[in-house]
Amino acid sequence: MIHLKHISIGACLAVLAIYGGLILSLMWFLDAAMLRETLFSDRTQFSVNLSLLAATTATALTLLLATPAAYGLSRYKFWGKEAVETVLEFPIIISPAALGAILLIFFNNPLGTWLQHNVIYFVFTFAGIVLAQFVTTLGLAVRMLKTAFEEVPIELETVARTLGGSPSYVFFTVTLPLARNGLIAAFILTWAKALGEFGATLMVAGSMAMRTETLPIAIFMRLSSADIEGTVALIFILAGIGLASLYAARCLLRRSRHV
Amino acid sequence: MFEIESLCTRNGCFSLEDINLSIWEGECHAIIGPSGSGKSTLLRAILGLLPVMSGRICLGGKDIHHWPMEHRCLGYVPQHLGLFTHLSVYDNLCYSARARRLAAVEFKPLLDRLIEMTDIGSLLNRRIDTLSGGERQRVALVRALAAGPRLVLLDEPFTALNETLRRELWWLVKALQHERGLSSLLITHDMTEAYFLAEKITVLISGRQVQSGDKTTIYRAPGSLAAARFLGVKNLFPAMVAEAAEGHIIADCPMLKHRFRLGGRAPAGTAICLGIRPEDVMLCDVGHPPLAGDCVLHGSIRVIDMGAAVAMHFHSSQVPSDIELTAPRRAARCFAIGNDQDCKTISLPSAAMFWVRDE
Repeated sequence: MIHLKHISIGACLAVLAIYGGLILSLMWFLDAAMLRETLFSDRTQFSVNLSLLAATTATALTLLLATPAAYGLSRYKFWGKEAVETVLEFPIIISPAALGAILLIFFNNPLGTWLQHNVIYFVFTFAGIVLAQFVTTLGLAVRMLKTAFEEVPIELETVARTLGGSPSYVFFTVTLPLARNGLIAAFILTWAKALGEFGATLMVAGSMAMRTETLPIAIFMRLSSADIEGTVALIFILAGIGLASLYAARCLLRRSRHV
Repeated sequence: MFEIESLCTRNGCFSLEDINLSIWEGECHAIIGPSGSGKSTLLRAILGLLPVMSGRICLGGKDIHHWPMEHRCLGYVPQHLGLFTHLSVYDNLCYSARARRLAAVEFKPLLDRLIEMTDIGSLLNRRIDTLSGGERQRVALVRALAAGPRLVLLDEPFTALNETLRRELWWLVKALQHERGLSSLLITHDMTEAYFLAEKITVLISGRQVQSGDKTTIYRAPGSLAAARFLGVKNLFPAMVAEAAEGHIIADCPMLKHRFRLGGRAPAGTAICLGIRPEDVMLCDVGHPPLAGDCVLHGSIRVIDMGAAVAMHFHSSQVPSDIELTAPRRAARCFAIGNDQDCKTISLPSAAMFWVRDE
């Protein structure tokens, strides 16, 4: 007789088999010499550096806005709250490519054009990559951080206030430390999503070699030119960075739970 | 002195209206009431978590209802204690001093004395999640008191504890009241806890203050039928004011087929309810002969052993519903436990009866 336990463990292993199988299938085209050459090429080095820098900048900007927004959504009732909650799903509902197209269209309207000429130029630039990643990750980050803040009982903040803490003192000494695990998880997942972002980046920043060529864009460009071995090598680099960061996050969370 | 004057507040569709109470220094005032009666709503209004629609919340003569929570000089021990699990016990205790940027000399003497009184000196370096329930209660109490509040709000903090630990902490709170002149507002649904810790009691039912005053009065003479029921009075008998005189009434109770002379005023013809606490019903078979004017009933009794005391149900063909009695174990030693025993006599003394208007 098959028990629920066997079915559920079987399903877990099936998940591993699907993703593991897909990664292993890349081995068919993996060439050690090609991997070494791709890994140490200037173009790949540029892509890796650009991807890491853009993802980190976008994540920092995202968390800068998402943290107070998530706290506001988790703690206060205000006019327009429902609308804000709904709009968080926007990047999930429409594809990243559509989101990028919206950004591109925005920069062609009078306000966007003014912004580009007087504040910062986004289209086909590093700022464009950061903006595309920022817009695609913002909704997800707010949602994750909101859940993290909701897990901190309001009662603790009330007690801290009666003990003499001002709202900001209580936020930094009680709420933020208690939401630490959720914040770390939100940071890592936002960063990982920004690192792998493709559609919106392609729309806003284009695919210019050695200029706006992030790792996902580089994979797209290699595949477009039928360079399968190069594509496989880049996928391994992207997957390596992503999985290493997620593993580091898991270790960090496990350790902070036992501190 | 802490005072609430004609306070009205609202929490969603629930409203709390016309609440009045005062707490003198060193006094404990309990707010009791069933679930949903508005106890927590009142507490939230005092803390500043709910807007005050009208009325005043005064501390030391100043209306504090518009003050920020951190400036109200209130201590707060919630039901789940609200200990900061990311901090050690000592850091929890020092939170207030650090938030107010006090120098050690300003808070250490009081903190050290409280630590000594509550015997938590050995716990200071421990993490909160390694403490037992009783230890957590002590830490939460000390943390609230170390801030030097003028009033401590205790929101059912002893609910989750076992009986022994709860009583131990009641004594501790009593000792703190005595030594530190602690003024406190206790929110509870446990009448025993309220009676033990408080000098005054306010009964809230469905957002209304049905009675407030000295605890003995509240216990002996509930102000309404709802209050009487909440306070555990099951022996309630519909009656009518037959005669009204200066300072007393004659109440006619058809159910008991008896007339009682009771204190108070009500016009003749008023529908009332007579009540008597289970411990005030007299067992005539164990040396409590009825007095003139007492209602005497004959019937059978079933005795249930409750440890220190016995609970009894008296059934009589004279009365449609059973009468509940409690007595010390010693007083009921001539009764066999468990079985119905016939031919027993009880009396309902007029002096112990109270009355409320029928609702």
